[in-house]
This record gives sequence, C-alpha cells and structure tokens, in this order.
Amino acid sequence: MENKQVVADIDRSLYDFKDVESEKDFYRMAEGLTKETVLKVSEEKNDPDWMRDFRLECLDLYNKIKVPDWGPSIEGLDMDKISSYVRHKSDMKGKWEDVPEDIKNTFERLGIPQAERESLAGVGAQYDSELVYHNVKDEVAAQGVIYTDLESALRSEYADMIKTHFMKLVPPTDHKFAALHGAVWSGGSFVYVPKGVKVEIPLQSYFRLNAAGAGQFEHTLIIVDEGADLHFIEGCSAPKYNVANLHAGCVELYVGKNARLRYSTIENWSKNMYNLNTKRAIVEENGIMEWVSGSFGSHTSYLYPMTILKGEGSKMEFTGITFAGKGQNLDTGAKVVHQGERTSSVINTKSISKDGGIGTYRSSVIIQNSAKKAKASVSCDSLMLDSISRADTIPGMDIRTNDADVGHEAKIGRISDDAIFYLMSRGISEEDAKAMIVSGFANPVSKELPLEYAVEMNNLIKLEMSGNG
Amino acid sequence: MSKDLNMKVNVLPVLTYNFLHVNDSALQISDLNIETLSSPKAKEIPAGVTLKEGVSFEEAGKLFLENKDRILAPKEDTVFPNGDTSSRDASQAIRTGMGADVDDLMIGMGVTTDVYTVDEGVKVEKPIIIRYDCEDGKGSLSSQVIHARKDSEVTVIMAYTSDKEMSGFQGVSTRLLAEDGAKINLVKTQTLGNGYVHFDDIGGACFKGGQINLVTLELGGCKVWSSAYVTLSEKESVFNSNMGYLCREDHSLDMNYVADQRGKKTESSMQFKGVLMDDAKKSFRGTIDFKNGSSGSVGDEQEDALLLSDNVVNKTMPVILCQEEDVEGRHGATIGQLGEDLLFYMQTRGIEEDEAKRIMIKARLESVARMIPDAEIMQKIQYYIQNIV
Repeated sequence: MENKQVVADIDRSLYDFKDVESEKDFYRMAEGLTKETVLKVSEEKNDPDWMRDFRLECLDLYNKIKVPDWGPSIEGLDMDKISSYVRHKSDMKGKWEDVPEDIKNTFERLGIPQAERESLAGVGAQYDSELVYHNVKDEVAAQGVIYTDLESALRSEYADMIKTHFMKLVPPTDHKFAALHGAVWSGGSFVYVPKGVKVEIPLQSYFRLNAAGAGQFEHTLIIVDEGADLHFIEGCSAPKYNVANLHAGCVELYVGKNARLRYSTIENWSKNMYNLNTKRAIVEENGIMEWVSGSFGSHTSYLYPMTILKGEGSKMEFTGITFAGKGQNLDTGAKVVHQGERTSSVINTKSISKDGGIGTYRSSVIIQNSAKKAKASVSCDSLMLDSISRADTIPGMDIRTNDADVGHEAKIGRISDDAIFYLMSRGISEEDAKAMIVSGFANPVSKELPLEYAVEMNNLIKLEMSGNG
Repeated sequence: MSKDLNMKVNVLPVLTYNFLHVNDSALQISDLNIETLSSPKAKEIPAGVTLKEGVSFEEAGKLFLENKDRILAPKEDTVFPNGDTSSRDASQAIRTGMGADVDDLMIGMGVTTDVYTVDEGVKVEKPIIIRYDCEDGKGSLSSQVIHARKDSEVTVIMAYTSDKEMSGFQGVSTRLLAEDGAKINLVKTQTLGNGYVHFDDIGGACFKGGQINLVTLELGGCKVWSSAYVTLSEKESVFNSNMGYLCREDHSLDMNYVADQRGKKTESSMQFKGVLMDDAKKSFRGTIDFKNGSSGSVGDEQEDALLLSDNVVNKTMPVILCQEEDVEGRHGATIGQLGEDLLFYMQTRGIEEDEAKRIMIKARLESVARMIPDAEIMQKIQYYIQNIV
C-alpha cells in the first residue's frame, strides 16, 4: 500500500485563548442591523454630520445590494445575530501600562508589545470595535508621519483629507459588504507619510476580535505622499467560538508619485469567522504597491486586494499564500486594473488545500486601452494534500489594447513522490522531506516578509508529517 | 419559419466576478428565418458506418441517457466548487459546451438528427465529409450524433462555407460517444460570410481508453459561438482539442471548452491559437475539471492570442477545478502583439513589419489547418487564409 503523507492542521493554540468580557467593563450593542443601530454607532463615535448621513446611505445600499452569486456560501452568517459594536469602557491609550490588564495580557500573549519594542516604528492595537492602544515612535513622528486612529484623525487638521479619501476608492456601491462596512465601520488606522519621507521600519496594526457573535469593521486609510516609502503590517486573529463572527474591514491605500508602499498581512482569524474584507490601492506615476498576503484562518473568506495602476510607469506586485484546512472555504486572489502607460503587475500566489478545505484562487487582470506597453504576469500554484479537498483556479483577463504583454500560468498538483524519494535517498527522513517541500512551496511568500513574521508564518504552517502506511 | 432567439449559452462551469461579463453569453436574434431543420448528407458513407437519418433530437439523445451512469460516473464525497453551475445544464442527455438552451431550441424547432454509428472494431480510413454550403439570407439548424462502438475509429469533417459577402444563420449540435478503445476525430472548418451568425455546440463522452480529437478552424462569420464539453468518463480516456481562429472587423467569437475528467489516468490537451484584428471581440473560457476519482490524470490548456489592432477586446478565462490529489493540471496564456525581438529578427532579414505580421498570422492558423485530413479542404482553407492576410 502506498505511503500517504499526513499534514497536520495549523496549531492554533496561540490564538485560541479567550477572555471573558464582563458587562461591567464592556459595552456591547444589541445584535442586528437597523437604522437605530447605525445611528447608535454614529453617536458612540461622535461622528461629524456628513459621516452620520453617509452611514445611513450605506445602510440603504446594504439592504438593496444582493449577496454575490459567485463565491462561497455565507448562509451561516445571520446579521440578526451579529453585534456591530463592542468596546471596552476605557479609552484608547498611548502606553501599554495604561491598557486594561486583560486586554494588555491578550496582546502580550500575541507578542505585540515585544514586536513594537524590537522591530516596529509604531503600533495600533484594536480589540473588538475600538483601538485600545496607539503609539508611534518619536523619531518617526518627528518626520511628520501621522499614525493614529481614524476617529481622532476625523476631528483633527486631517479631517478634510479623510473626507476626500474615505470610501472613495472602495465606494459603498461596490458590493454588499462594502455598504455594510460604510454603515457600521469602527476603529482602524489613519497613516499619512509626507512627501519624500522614508519610514525605515514598519508600522503595524493588530486586530483582535475577542467577543463572540460580533463583527469587526475597522477602516484603514493610508496616504503615502510623493516620493515617500512605507511598510505597513496588518495582523488579525480571534479565538474560536461556535457562533459566526464577521469581519468586514476596508483598506484604502493611496500611493503617490514615485512613492512605495508595502502592505503585509498575516490573517489568522478563527474558523468561525466570515472574512469579507475589501482592500484597494491606487498608484500614481512611477509609484510601487507591494502586497504580501497570508490567509490561514477564517471559516469563509472573500479577499481580493485590488490595485489600480493609474499613473504612468506605476507597478504592482502581489505575493500571496492561502492555506485551506478542515471546514474552511477560502476564496482569495487579487485584482489589478492597468490604466497608465508602461504599468506593470506581477501576481504570484500559492495555495494549499487539505482535510476537506476549499481553496480558490480568483483574480482579474484588466488592461484598459490607455495602458500602452503594459505588462502583466500571473502565476498561481496549488498543492493538493488529499482528495477530499478542493483547489480551484479561476483567473480572468480582459485586455483592450494590442500594445500590452500578458502572461499567465497556473499549475496544480501534489507533493511529488519523486521529490520525496530523491530527498530520502540523500538521507533525509520522509517527514523532513515533505516538510522541506511544503516549506519550499511557501518560500516565495515567506521570503517577502520581515524575519519575525516569516517565523510566525512558518509556525502557522507547522506541518507535521508522518507516514501511516 | 420566423423565430426569435433569446438564449443563455456558454455558461462558465463556475461563476466569477460579474464585472468581467464572462459568466455566460447571450445569444439573441430577432425575427430569424429558419428554413432548414436537418443536416446535409455526407457525400459518401464508408463501409462499417451506418447512417440513420431523420431521427428526432430527443430520440437520438437516448444513446446518452441509457449510458448516463457510465458517462457521469457519480462519486460520493463530491465537494462542489464555489459558484458551481453544473445543475443548470443537468437536463441534457449529454453535457455540451453551449448548454441546455441549444437542446431546447433543437427540440422546440423539431430539428432532426443524423446518427452515424461505427461498427465495433472498424477503423474507417477515409473521412466522412459533411459540407454545409450555406446560401445568402437562409437559416438552418442541424444535428449529428457520432457513435463509435468499441475499438472503432472514424474521422468526420464538417465544412461550413459561404461566399464572403453572404449573411444568414447556421446552428449545429454535434454529440459524440467514443466507447471503449474507440476514437472519434472531428474536424470542423468554418469560412462563412461576413454576415453569418453561426453556432457550433459539441458534447461528447469517452469510455475506457476512448478518445475524442477535435480540430477546429473558426475563420468567418460575424457572430460565432464555438463550444465543446467532453466528459472523460473512464480510465485512460483522452480529449485533444486544437483550435485556430481569426476574428476581424466588428465580429465576435465566444468560446466555452471544458474537459470534464472523471476516470483515472485521463488526459486532456486543449490548444488555442488565434488572431484578433480591427474591432473584433473574443471571449474564451477553457476549463479543466478534475473530478474526485480522476487520479493519475493530466490536463493541459494553452492559449496564444495575437492582437493586431488597438481596438480589439480579448477576454480569457482559463479555469482549473480540482478535487483530486494525484493529478497534474496546467494552463498558460500569452496574449499580446508580435514581440519586438521577433520583429527585429525578421527585419534584420529584410522582412518588413507588415509582412512579418502576415507570416505570423499564417503560421498560427496553418499549424492547425495542416491537421485537416483531406487534401482538398486543407488547400481551400490555406487559400482562404492566404487571401485574408
């Protein structure tokens, strides 16, 4: 009988601890989505009038727009059982010692304060619906870099800048869950990097959804001005509950002329999470947008970071990995629209499916007629670890000029017996051989991450191999 | 008989973003004059082949219905892909590329089917040639079933032609069954006039070691739908498709090719080489679907689209679906104009840019035309290509 590799599930114990949220310390809005709940969120947030009106328009849109007919089922998600807003009763702090003990402990266990001390220029930590901690290093702030929570920014000198950018890249008409986000968004970060400023070490926002049956709707708005440079890291996790949780965040990224933005995400939501997230970037002349994306958690994901290459010579690179295990349906990929001349995009993805998981790579590459001499290259590889799982590749291309080069390739397969045999013949055990092959498969993604995060990712893909004959 | 067509065809096996407008295609024509409801007769029926004419579309479909369990080889533990559309065309006797709306049209219009049956073990050397010499202003629908019994082999050439300036409508359904060890070679050449609307809907199944080979050249017509869905039901069955297309002026070409791999060690290869000129629009859907149970199977799909005008619209959807660990699937696409290096190379040899383009168009299309196993038709096609470029 043929030996068959067994690949263990991701070890989630690091992320699965739960904190009990008492009524004394936490405010939790009633479940369901109505005009009243939206107005209540608006009141809690002390919104300016335009934002309150915008929320109500979004609610109307949410009620009108249909659920997409092409993606994973979201029948298990009942908005009447989701609380849109949960927050700790204390305010956001600028020092970890001031953060309430239980929340601080959560972030300590996730290693966020340590990472901040060692390798980050600033950190924002969101717990349920609100930021509980935000800080940026003095030397970075001295360069004029703004890194703050979005609500504070709305009431600051940057209010007009936010008004002109907020949900302009991702309009609420885009899809049902963009409208939902517009109606009940809360938390998230605002980053502004002034002209010519290069932030040498990354900023990080970490999102933790601890409450059961709740939604997290943070909004991240980043503006990297002309010639500036930033690496932004986003991490997310949640403990597992037996009721559905919802994440419908929104990320809007504006990359200026000659600027560069790298946006790295390690997503490790628990397996009761519906992750219906929208991320989009627009890139001006000679600007560079780099996405590094690891999707490991969630019950169901719809995630396709999109880049609009507007300016001449602008570039985009997307590197992503998706690991779909038992009970998971992860529909991920990327979208790019080439508008400017000599724009270029590279999409490189890896996907692993096991234990009945469904991993779908879905993408679109659009080359508009104006995008003369555009170049696009797509490469997607899928690794199947058993025959009860699925790995599907659904890429689309729409090309409207002849003055462009588009290349696409996709492969699907399993761990090659020959490769295992080759490594074993060199004295490597079967388990190690399989681990090496899977690590090698994931390597194009892990090498794009900062060292600490690559280690985290490797921990996430803690694949235990054993032969069971 | 006047008829309005409002059909949804070429449905992608899995839906994707609606903004790409590739999930299906609308075949809508008003006040269509359809006079002919049967196929032209083959010039010669070789020994070992039986032709049964005038069979109703449904009656001809019974061959497939009676074998439905063998064709579908249903498996437990099937996990469906996101956006799965397979139930839409499940009513068909055999799945076809364009889908159930074509069956409904054929049945509704009372189209008759010619059923060609190749006797067991017979290898027919000479191709069966069916010529569709289409006339101006005429509309026709036709249907064939080609049934190759165990260990038989047959080649059928279907040649659709009309004068360059002619208009009309021509729709055809071709259903194929290759039993154990049998081989069906189906060659289709289409050089219809600039005003012709044409659809070609193919569906087929292969049993153990069976093989279906398609060679398709879509060179004419103003609106063309060209599709095939081949189910590789059993072990070691094979589907090869080679297609060449030329789409120019304001014409459109809409394609949906599916290799549905169910048996163990099945093989599919789908190669598409085409040229888009002027204001042409093309949508290509190509799917390799490894069902659970298809272990040891391989699938390969390649598209090479040469865009020769700045006003063309080229949509490409190369899909791989997989619920089987032990398979190898691959697809690739290269889309664009002639490479600068190639042009430079040709220019250094004294070949002007326009001439270089002509050479490359010819090279692409003739590489497929050379697969036509009839010297006369091959020459006509080569002459047609020569004249066009």
